[in-house]
Amino acid sequence: MSDDLELAALLGEAPKTPDPGFRFDVLALTAERARRRDARQRAFRTTVLFALVGLIFPLAHAFGLGLAQLQPLLLVAGVLCLAYVLALWTLEGPRAVLARSRAVLRGRL
Amino acid sequence: MNAGEEARLIGLARRGDYAAFGRLVDMHQSAVRAFLRRVTGNYADADDLAQEAFARTWDVLNRFDGTSSLRTFICGVAFQYWRRARRAQGRREARETAYADLSETQTEESPERAGQRLALRKAMEELPEDQRGALALCLGQEFTHAEAAEILGLPLGTVKSHVTRGRARLQAALGIAENSDE
Repeated sequence: MSDDLELAALLGEAPKTPDPGFRFDVLALTAERARRRDARQRAFRTTVLFALVGLIFPLAHAFGLGLAQLQPLLLVAGVLCLAYVLALWTLEGPRAVLARSRAVLRGRL
Repeated sequence: MNAGEEARLIGLARRGDYAAFGRLVDMHQSAVRAFLRRVTGNYADADDLAQEAFARTWDVLNRFDGTSSLRTFICGVAFQYWRRARRAQGRREARETAYADLSETQTEESPERAGQRLALRKAMEELPEDQRGALALCLGQEFTHAEAAEILGLPLGTVKSHVTRGRARLQAALGIAENSDE
């Protein structure tokens, strides 16, 4: 009984073989934590982006710029945003237009 | 599995390979779970903590510099998790917990052995955290004193002292005369 191994066994025994269930639980927990971390980062980026957009008008006002002076700048920013959204939609959107076009071209060549 | 294969799996896991990380989990789960079972005294809590520790290891694998073994690194993470969980929950009533845990985990053992297990757990509950950690690591001979010192962040001499004194406390709890060989 005074043997260290016996004491250790009484305190808690090591699993005899690796448990696939345990591995599965670890991987599920790891993936869940990664998903949560990504979601937090995405939320942070979105919040920062919208805060910056929202800051444009008060800052412009503070520097004495009215809507009339800002109009060309806002127009360009709007067009750029629209182009960005369209590009994203073309590349990754639900219909993935560009990917389908490339697949068609590959088929014909 | 040799050190080269482990290093290869660590490299793959760092690049996001879940299958490689799963193999690392299989390699080290026995030692980590045994350590936590001994230190917590509760198999279910120990396995929950072990899962948290492995998941955290995935997050911080880039910080692992290879100067110690991965098993030591994971146990260090597990020990921090155990300490944090223990402080968050507060100290539970040792006797009740021990009885409940015995009924959960050891249903087919003799009453004498169950009594010994209960006495040991009670004695462990009364030990300081570091001493419990040192005993849980070293009694099963799965970790050397040097590895335990690294995991616990203590000097080697302190770990040796913790093990010797802790072992005497556990033996006293079982009504065994203290060994004088160490």
